[in-house]
Amino acid sequence: MLDIPLPNQSRAGLTEIEAEYIAGSLLQIIPFVSPQQTNDDVLNLLSQRPDLIAIPVVEGGMPIGLINRSIFMDGMAKPFRRELFARKSCIAFMDKDPLIVDRSMSIQTLSFKVVHSGGKTLNDGFIITDETGNYLGLGTGEDLVKVVSYLQAEKNRLVMESINYASIIQKSFLRTSREDMNTALQDYFMHWEPRDKVGGDYYFCKKFDDGFFLALIDCTGHGVPGAFMTLIMAAFLDHILLEDNRYDPASTLSIMNQKVKTALCQRTESNVIPINSAKYAIANSEQSDDGMDTAFCWVNTQDRTLTYAGAKIPLMYLTEESGEVSFLNPDRKGVGYVNTPMEYVWTNKQIELKEGTCIYLTTDGIIDQIGGAKNIAFGKKRLSTLICENYHKPMPEQQNIIMQTFYEYQGKQRRRDDITVMGFRI
Amino acid sequence: MDNIYITRTSESPEVDFNFSNHVLNMTGESYPENASDFFRPILIGLEAYLAATSACEIVFNFQLTYFNSSSTKMLYNLFELLNESASTNDNRIILNWHHDEEDDTILEFGLDIHEDFQWLDFRPIILDNAEEA
Repeated sequence: MLDIPLPNQSRAGLTEIEAEYIAGSLLQIIPFVSPQQTNDDVLNLLSQRPDLIAIPVVEGGMPIGLINRSIFMDGMAKPFRRELFARKSCIAFMDKDPLIVDRSMSIQTLSFKVVHSGGKTLNDGFIITDETGNYLGLGTGEDLVKVVSYLQAEKNRLVMESINYASIIQKSFLRTSREDMNTALQDYFMHWEPRDKVGGDYYFCKKFDDGFFLALIDCTGHGVPGAFMTLIMAAFLDHILLEDNRYDPASTLSIMNQKVKTALCQRTESNVIPINSAKYAIANSEQSDDGMDTAFCWVNTQDRTLTYAGAKIPLMYLTEESGEVSFLNPDRKGVGYVNTPMEYVWTNKQIELKEGTCIYLTTDGIIDQIGGAKNIAFGKKRLSTLICENYHKPMPEQQNIIMQTFYEYQGKQRRRDDITVMGFRI
Repeated sequence: MDNIYITRTSESPEVDFNFSNHVLNMTGESYPENASDFFRPILIGLEAYLAATSACEIVFNFQLTYFNSSSTKMLYNLFELLNESASTNDNRIILNWHHDEEDDTILEFGLDIHEDFQWLDFRPIILDNAEEA
């Protein structure tokens, strides 16, 4: 029987694990017969060894066939067969075309071959030879299934481990933002919930002597590719803010746009299509078209103003006097995409921050989630209403209310996207 | 001209582009793992159809309830093709924008499309829920 290590014992990488197992790993040494031996010999062998499902037939070191126990027994059980065949060569009931494989064959190739050759190989097993075709022994379908499922579990474990670790990296990138938010804000919440452990949603906060810079980011994609993008964006943004760009979120967006387009080779010029030619039939499918939707805010804590520039992500705010949610609407171009021109200009919008003003930002994950009785999107209206009804409560409590309402709305529907929502009170 | 028919899955819409009748339907949700792979053949087919069609009335019934951001970009490409065709090939393109009464998200997206693609005859249509159920 195979000795498979428990999954958590292995420390090998994906390719190593695959290479570790070959057809030869499944080799079982079992008795074989030669064509000179008779069916009586086979019968004796089978009754001595009830564990044998099949017996290989080997001539001059080379395998020539495989005798299956039940086919042999059925054949011999018929009237007069024993009398007729007992003393004849054992090849009478032999399968002349069993699967024969080289011991160095990979498990993957082997499993395709086994599946291809049909049910008989899974049952009888397959003959394993050395490089020159000499008989070595037999492998069983049962062992093959065990190894294949072990490899599958092991690969799965490695992928999950690597995603879990990617999640640790992504979270640690968020830590400084968290710390800065903690010092800059008294009453706030930040709910970051990637759909698949890591994701394309991201937030960024950097505290300065005269205020703080805040960004909510939704990169294309989710999962690992989305997470890749967030790290690129975070690095760019961090770098851009080293200079005095914080006062002007709109031009910070422009700089980001140029950096992303250059870095990902998404320059529009290379994409100009001559008139009258078929655009999609010839477009390069390897061309990346990635970027981000985002809201950039500079909060000046000294003169109590907020300057916002948005790429498809609006800002919601609510003052004590109005008691209603107002919107600062974003420009409708995302950052970095092929369709966004290199020299695109975003616009700054400014609001005064009176005592008690509440600010909210969210990516489209909440708003677009399908759910409810009608299986339609959660919607901006529902979110604004929730905010209106609860804005006077402490921010962490609002977070609970918003998320509970959201989870109930989502119900049994699948999560469609990463989710990030935040709120703070000045 | 080959019509396009793609069955609906949980992550991709039903696409029924009946070019011979000049009726294009898209129903369901769109968040496939690779939106560009999903939409490319559709865009290629539509582009070829539009290039060969002029002075025609084309009806596009749009009835999606969810699409992720990469699908949104592909949809923009699709509307752009239609818009160009309406402005140059003398095609009249009716965009029936089906949405639930309470679905402000889809309606808002439709209004953006209306603003960006002025040559399309944009018609918001409230879905009849009784019929849906």
